[in-house]
Amino acid sequence: MYPIWEVPNLSAGIILGIIATFHILPSHLSVSAMWFNLYVETKAYRENRPEYLEFIKKYTLLLLVFAYVLGSLSGVGIWYSATVANPRGLSGLIHNYVWGWAAEWVFFIVEVVGIFVYYYTLNKVDIKTHLKIGWIFAIASWITMIIITGILSFMLSPGKWPQTGNFFDGFFNQTYWSQLFVRTTVMFGIGAGYAIAVSARLKNDDVRKLVVKTASRWGIAGLVLGALAVQWYLKALPENAHGLLGSIVPKGLKTGMVVSFSAMILYFVYAHIKPLTIRIVPAVLAIAVLFVGIWSAERMREIIRKPYVISHYMYSNQIIGSDVRSKGVKAEADLINERGILKIAPFVPSGLRDINEGNKLQAGKMIAIIECSSCHVLDENGLRSLPKMMKGLGFKDAEVVEGFLDALGGYLHMPPFYGTAAEKKALAAYLVSLNK
Amino acid sequence: MDVGTMINTLQDPMGIPFYPILFQVLMVITFALHIMFVNFAIGTISLSVYAYLKGGEYWRQLSKSMARAATSSISMAILLGVAPLLFVQVIYDPFWYVSNTLSAAWVIGFILILMTAYSLTYVFYLKRDSKSNSFAIFGIIAFAFFIFAGVIMHALGYQLLQPEKWLDWYVRGNTADTSGVSLHAFQLSRFLHFIVPSFAMAGILLMLYAWYFKDRNDKDKEYLQWAGKMGANMAFVFTAIQAAVGFWWLLSLPSEFRFFLDPFFLIGAGLGIVLLVYLYSARKDPVRYAVPGILLAFLTILGMSYTRESLRMKYLGRFDYSIFNYKLNLDYGSTLLFLSTFVVGLVIAGYLLSVAYKSGKTAGEYVPTPSMNRWGKVSIALLLIWIAIVAGLGIAISVKNYL
Repeated sequence: MYPIWEVPNLSAGIILGIIATFHILPSHLSVSAMWFNLYVETKAYRENRPEYLEFIKKYTLLLLVFAYVLGSLSGVGIWYSATVANPRGLSGLIHNYVWGWAAEWVFFIVEVVGIFVYYYTLNKVDIKTHLKIGWIFAIASWITMIIITGILSFMLSPGKWPQTGNFFDGFFNQTYWSQLFVRTTVMFGIGAGYAIAVSARLKNDDVRKLVVKTASRWGIAGLVLGALAVQWYLKALPENAHGLLGSIVPKGLKTGMVVSFSAMILYFVYAHIKPLTIRIVPAVLAIAVLFVGIWSAERMREIIRKPYVISHYMYSNQIIGSDVRSKGVKAEADLINERGILKIAPFVPSGLRDINEGNKLQAGKMIAIIECSSCHVLDENGLRSLPKMMKGLGFKDAEVVEGFLDALGGYLHMPPFYGTAAEKKALAAYLVSLNK
Repeated sequence: MDVGTMINTLQDPMGIPFYPILFQVLMVITFALHIMFVNFAIGTISLSVYAYLKGGEYWRQLSKSMARAATSSISMAILLGVAPLLFVQVIYDPFWYVSNTLSAAWVIGFILILMTAYSLTYVFYLKRDSKSNSFAIFGIIAFAFFIFAGVIMHALGYQLLQPEKWLDWYVRGNTADTSGVSLHAFQLSRFLHFIVPSFAMAGILLMLYAWYFKDRNDKDKEYLQWAGKMGANMAFVFTAIQAAVGFWWLLSLPSEFRFFLDPFFLIGAGLGIVLLVYLYSARKDPVRYAVPGILLAFLTILGMSYTRESLRMKYLGRFDYSIFNYKLNLDYGSTLLFLSTFVVGLVIAGYLLSVAYKSGKTAGEYVPTPSMNRWGKVSIALLLIWIAIVAGLGIAISVKNYL
């Protein structure tokens, strides 16, 4: 167990969530924009319409600056925030999927080199070569999605991996294909949203018309196919996730998805009918609406993974919950229950390793920091605040809280409490002390 | 709990999917590439600001070119930083994660600082024309932020070498300091050893710049010569300073390491001296010396990176930690996936860079030769074959496991 990072009122997990959510905007632009560019550039080439290249130049600059300044840094930011929010979870992923990530990095090289070369060689190389560069970028970019979807879906549904420990059994798990299909179709909707925003800055009305009309058709097709693929994805979800979907997922997230989807369809239809009326502000707002939908979907995916960070292996609080025999990994429950979390965790003040009446509350707090703080803040206010919950539940008696701790594992979304009897008492005493 | 037990407890129980030496070699090579582009980035942005403030025709032209070089160098630095960041977590996970969580707020700050610095670099590059000198402030802030990001990364890298101090940094009496707001360790000589080469590398980049455009008739020959000469001087002077900083760092290391006898150090320092002598001669004819110069400089950086890795093994060997004892769970399938992908990536990136290189050398529109066209087609075909193989594998596994 590593040192814990607490962020007042927010929790480290929310910092990770904020960065990851932001990353969606540039990363999905990156995988989708070039397909659109290719369409327009090919048209420019075939119909001998060099004026279309004005759009290409503008759209690519957006891609270069937005996706490869803020996008690549926020992508690295996800790693850094996962490092400090859940180091053991990240370590578990990396020690299984290092070669997956390394392969993704190779395509990331192709993308970054590709986008610079594509931008700076426009009108400086013959158009066929320029289109080749575009194709390379577009396909390499989609491959990064092929890879990351395997790792992301593994976290929720590890497939046969818990039994075999095999890289590919975890990668091509039961939700892999449907999730890849959702992302691939929705990315065209996202690319279309950005393309319309860029077109608002174009001087030539013919080009604008072409871009907006094409983009709106792509947008509608992408979102409708995406919605169908979501149904497939929902069917493929593991049982536990279904249970959570019906219980703890906030209604607001589901509403967010439906409203965003409907609004975007209407927007694309309107854009198709009156392509020249779309100005920059509404176009950027439309991207924000789209973002609400994606954000809701990604949050939902994160929530239905509870109580795990890596399903059927490690709980959100970084305790290993199950054996992975093929890798020689043992669950930690017995060890912690027998020796105590305060004894085996390296980063514990030495004065708290043995619990006595004098340090009971401090020890209880330390246990809460280790076992609860990844999802609950210990402050009065904030994310799933423990003091607020204790007050809400009206817990005043330590014995009742002990009973509650015993029953934790019965909730679909909660990891069980692990620790010795003395530790349970200490944690219960601390929790009761919060209700004052 | 003693430090050795603590490290063992922290180490990931999954083991690693291939022999540790491969991860180490990849980590060091990619780090060397990463730090070279970090040096280019810091060197070019500072030179660009300096040139902007100097004013005049040559300086302004240089400033613009350097700002443009800075934007792509930063991107390359980020890109190439991902790989060592990944591999360090594979073989040095206990150290890396503790150092990061102890200074967590700064880890997040690092990202925000870089985002700001990079955005400002683009502002400095794209919006510079017809502005007064005060516009340089964007470049200056960007430079300062990059240096600050370097301080954070330096502290993270240095804290991880000192596991004996970790608990003291985390624990206050009976409470844990979970705020992550402190940076706990800093060593000036070590830090400068990463930063000073930036100015030498910017010098070598100028030599390359003069070399690259020498055949383009639309470029001002005198300007290029001026830039190349200045570059060679910068490269020599700052490499000499770097050598002095290196000895300062060497002298400040724990004496029981006897690091001056370390074979990696001897190779690294030897390469450094060869580079210095080479750059001394390069001042006579920067254009002719440019290409071997950058190769020798990279070799020196690589040697120094392995020297630093050797130093890390010395630091951590005090607690009996060796990556070569890491538990193995060999996975040939995924290792093969990466290695073959890597070869594919080299072919494709090679094509893209060749197009860029050749079009930059041509004054008008570049029309590729048939062999270049073939290379382009092969690149696209390789990507499609990659998808076909991986999808085929995926379908086979899905059928086996779920149907």
